[in-house]
Amino acid sequence: MKLGIDIGGTFTDLVLLDEGSGRMVLGKTLTTYPDPLQGILNGVEQIMHDSGVSLHSIGVIVHGTTLVTNAVIERKGARTALLTTAGFEDVLEIGREMRYDIYDLFLTMPKPLVPRSLRIGLRQRMDKNGRVLTPLDLTEVEQVADRLVRRGVQSVAVSFLHAFANPEHEQAVGDLLRRKYPYVAVSLSSEVLPEIREYERTSATAMNAYVQPLTQDYLRRLRRALTERGFQGEIYIMNSAGRLTTLEGAQRFPIQLLESGPAGGTMAGVFFQRQLTAAGNDVSQLLAFDMGGTTAKASMVRQGQPEITHHFEAARERRFKKGSGLPVRIPVIDMIEIGAGGGSIARLDALGLLTVGPDSAASQPGPACYGRGGQWPTVTDADLVLGFLNEHYFLGGTMPLRRDLAEEAIEKHIARPLGIRVEEAAWGIHRVVNENMANAARVHILEKGLDPRPFTMMAFGGAGPVHAFAVARLLGLSRLIVPGGAGVLSALGFLVSPIATEAIFSHVSRLDRMDWASINSRMAEMEHRGRTFLQEAGVTANQIHVHRVAEMRYAGQGHDITVPLPSGTLSADSLPAITYNFEQEYTLRYGRVLPHMPIESVTWRIVVSGPSPQASLHQQVKGAVSQQAQKGTRPAFFGKTWLEVPVLDRYAMPAEQRFNGPCIIEEFESTTVVGPDAVVWRDSFGNLIIEMS
Amino acid sequence: MTAITPTATSPTPRDFDAIELSILWSRLISIVDEAGTTLQRTAFSSVTRESADFAVVLMDTQGQSLAQSSVSVPSFLGVLPFLVKALLRDHFPPEQWQPGDVVITNDPWLCAGHKPDIGIVSPIFYGQTPEGHPRLIGFIGCIAHSPDIGGTLWGANARDFYEEGLYIPPMKLFDAGRRNETLFRLIQTNVRAPQQTLGDILAQVAANDQGIRSLLRLMDEYGLTEIDTLGAHIIAASEKAMRDAIRQAPDGTYHAEYEADGDGLNHPVRLKCALTIRGDEIWVDYTGTSPAHPLAINAVLNYVFAYTAYPIKCVFSPEVPNNEGSFRPIHVWAPEGCLLNAQKPAPLGARNVTGNLLYAPVMLALSQAVPERVQADCGAAVWVMVLSGRHDDGREFVEYLFLAGGYGGRKGLPGEPTLCYPTNVANVPVEVFENDAPVLVLEKKLIPGSGGAGQYPGGAGQRFAYQNIGQHPIHISNVTEKIRHQAYGLFGGKTGRRGRLYVLTPQGKRRFTPPKGHDTLLPGETLVMELPGGGGYGAPQATKRYRPATPSAHPQHPQHG
Repeated sequence: MKLGIDIGGTFTDLVLLDEGSGRMVLGKTLTTYPDPLQGILNGVEQIMHDSGVSLHSIGVIVHGTTLVTNAVIERKGARTALLTTAGFEDVLEIGREMRYDIYDLFLTMPKPLVPRSLRIGLRQRMDKNGRVLTPLDLTEVEQVADRLVRRGVQSVAVSFLHAFANPEHEQAVGDLLRRKYPYVAVSLSSEVLPEIREYERTSATAMNAYVQPLTQDYLRRLRRALTERGFQGEIYIMNSAGRLTTLEGAQRFPIQLLESGPAGGTMAGVFFQRQLTAAGNDVSQLLAFDMGGTTAKASMVRQGQPEITHHFEAARERRFKKGSGLPVRIPVIDMIEIGAGGGSIARLDALGLLTVGPDSAASQPGPACYGRGGQWPTVTDADLVLGFLNEHYFLGGTMPLRRDLAEEAIEKHIARPLGIRVEEAAWGIHRVVNENMANAARVHILEKGLDPRPFTMMAFGGAGPVHAFAVARLLGLSRLIVPGGAGVLSALGFLVSPIATEAIFSHVSRLDRMDWASINSRMAEMEHRGRTFLQEAGVTANQIHVHRVAEMRYAGQGHDITVPLPSGTLSADSLPAITYNFEQEYTLRYGRVLPHMPIESVTWRIVVSGPSPQASLHQQVKGAVSQQAQKGTRPAFFGKTWLEVPVLDRYAMPAEQRFNGPCIIEEFESTTVVGPDAVVWRDSFGNLIIEMS
Repeated sequence: MTAITPTATSPTPRDFDAIELSILWSRLISIVDEAGTTLQRTAFSSVTRESADFAVVLMDTQGQSLAQSSVSVPSFLGVLPFLVKALLRDHFPPEQWQPGDVVITNDPWLCAGHKPDIGIVSPIFYGQTPEGHPRLIGFIGCIAHSPDIGGTLWGANARDFYEEGLYIPPMKLFDAGRRNETLFRLIQTNVRAPQQTLGDILAQVAANDQGIRSLLRLMDEYGLTEIDTLGAHIIAASEKAMRDAIRQAPDGTYHAEYEADGDGLNHPVRLKCALTIRGDEIWVDYTGTSPAHPLAINAVLNYVFAYTAYPIKCVFSPEVPNNEGSFRPIHVWAPEGCLLNAQKPAPLGARNVTGNLLYAPVMLALSQAVPERVQADCGAAVWVMVLSGRHDDGREFVEYLFLAGGYGGRKGLPGEPTLCYPTNVANVPVEVFENDAPVLVLEKKLIPGSGGAGQYPGGAGQRFAYQNIGQHPIHISNVTEKIRHQAYGLFGGKTGRRGRLYVLTPQGKRRFTPPKGHDTLLPGETLVMELPGGGGYGAPQATKRYRPATPSAHPQHPQHG
């Protein structure tokens, strides 16, 4: 049996899955502060009680947490020092010397995680090929280390120039530190991110060091607490790329966990894609659309795999402004996030135009209709006025909404200044936020050279199913899925994620001048390390899958594309195959190739992964609150006029029975809006399937 | 429903309410951004790619700008509409455009003030005219910095316009879809790295095509037959917002004078600016500015407009999207033949040096009108250094380096270290630089205390030193600023530390290298650069006495007119 545990900002979600029977039990408990471990233990106790299962019969626990992200955002990491090549101590502060907003005179750049007084330059130097120009002086290293430890440093990051080409100096410093001060955490750039470009590599290394002590402490306590309660199985940790790592791996490279929660949401797409495919549907391309209170996120799953990127920033100065954060070039699920959620505020800007977001009323004070003092109209207020939401059945009726306050806010700030009716203003808010999300999703899909139309959208998050229909229409999609179990979606994703590890090295060279022997030997070494890691995690050798790619570009270009490599030993004979793959990728993205331009490699990556967990998947469906699928009707506004539309109870919908849109389907956590010219049904797993014509 | 009065006529007038306008407007911006993404990712030129040194602009049938790509650099503000209007007026009247046409030019007086900036304009057709011809509904254009344009290597030292490489007057690069092979061949044989230069030109064409495809989809989706009416709404709304913002500022004529390095030796330049705010318009008059300079740092008027409008926009309405309307209330003038309105055959290559300074007198003048919304002077607009030579194995290389000084202090915020204004260029990572050129970087670190003191101190500059470790000399072209002068502080804030530039010989001796100009870095020699710090804002709090920053930087009293 397997248990997925996801710690979110408000709730800790749990899913218990019996792979044999396909039985699944869901649990939810409040996240506890300051120590989230307590919440986990509460949840585990509860789910054990609900299911009648004991902890020692659980083989695998998969865990995801926002611990690392929060530590970086709130600057609550360890007292960290950074050792660099002398003369380059300020690399974190100098950054890339680029403003992220060219019109804002008052911008601020993210402050480095290590202050100047703890950034120490050491005399040593290597050239671009990793040849030693100035040897490392271990006596100096020891003096510096002693001084730092005396000053209370708990963690040390080491990032020397060209360490990706030759890690010897970093390793020597690491060995010395670990030997002399075993209680001080050490992060080496050649281990954390052995990639060219000193700022990005140092940024990732410093962040790894910054969060390492608290991650180690937390994971050790988690292991101990579960063991004490009888757990004897394996614990895996969800990383940002939708892959699992071991407790040991997570403690060495905690920055891998930065995006584990959102990754769970996308991996839930993999879960449902598999479930629906097994039932005979064609859902090879899925767009996961998650709209919550503050943001909307979209990501793609194609042929059972999430799209991965290595461009990620943590702790942005401005949440939606690229370049305003600390870069961490780890593998993460490629996701766009914009400021569009239920709490996003609508207003008329200086141009007299209606804008929605990116600022949000969040949950405090929340939308005007929450009656907690929110003055500004929000997306949720508009959805309520349009009849999409039920003021008596929000969160299953546990939170009554004030329609009068929503109308008042929209009237005052939007309708009256524009001289239009309240419902027209509300419809405008609804359309503008949908348009924002569709524009972002369209650009995201186009950047990959793909056509949005064949995608199936999977909508989740509190506001996702309310807006998904309209967004899907704007994108020209024809199918929408609102999965069951939406309340614990990330935790579901954990259960289908494979154990995997990714290793990289940078080697900048033209393909026609490549030293293939050296490439092969480094790849072999990385593959061996990956296989060892997986075998230690319990994966058998014949289940291991190896995927190799290289980031390449036309020599002289600055932007790399990821190119799959042929299997086996590489040599000059592989050139036609590699060139072909490169040109395929290049054409996909840019619609042309540049014949005769030499191609060069930058970074080589190898992903070694275990099998994707298989499970026969059933969902426990909560009891219906009424016998009739149709609870009644209510007026809803779909543009020109009010329509009296049927309101359905999701839990009471008989499987496979077709209902015509427009209709509104209510459930505890959300509301699904189905517009005209569509049919909707509940499949045997409890998912809502909407076909749009 | 509220409608904003259209100011242009169109074949099928259509009204837009505020909500439709919001949606269509954001879609137009999304369209030029998609095109910009295509260009940025496929370009070879490092400045186009890494520094977003490009712009994509969608224009109506009269060449009025409707939407400009959001990431583009300031130097291109207003430039493409200027170009298209000139094309329509002087080169290709509306009836001469056909579907599949693409026009190219690098005319500095029509484009962005020097030859490496290449403008590419494509007409957009949709539907038919009553006579059954394809209907011209607008233009899309982009401008980007080319990897090379021939002539002397880029820098400040060309003696005249003709030394600065190939001049391409407005010509059809594609004529109704057919490649102009003559022109392609001419470009190919006149530039270094022809593959890359032509590759970038084709990337520009592809970016326009991408924009056209997306626009046509939008036309279909919303049943539009033309974009002039929509454009008129957009322009009117932006113009109103800009005028409303200017109206808030007190009327008056505000004077500022700013001296800069010029050649960095004995030929400085003086920028004089009288900025008048009257009602909802701004006039900037540069009368009194130095005459054209013997170095190639002369600017043309449309480029001067871009760099004058930019700080004004940052101060008054940073959030209003860029289009025709946002610039209508701004008027810029400089006397013909002066540094800021250079005429043929003045050399223009490093005109950015001068354009990048204009914010300084403009901010100084604005500091008298809106003291809380300006920033103190920045250490460097950017220092640029071009290296060229050979690796030990004989391969040739050309490498551009960009370095930032300290950012100026602002009300409530200190200046950031190593950020440029108005330029915005990412640096070249040390490890990439060492892979691209036979150099060893000895140091790249902040210079503590180089920012001017103040209640909100200026940001620190940096020290950057690299050595030629190859066997061949490296040719260098230096373009620096504030070696002689310092970044001014405001309201009692102190000036930033000035910059320094010299070569260290293998024997450890310092030798001269020109602040603006060419030099040769011999094997074993080291070039040392110390970037200037930014100015402080407000008097340092420890000091009670009010002291003006520097005599030249002290804001003069406004003369109300």
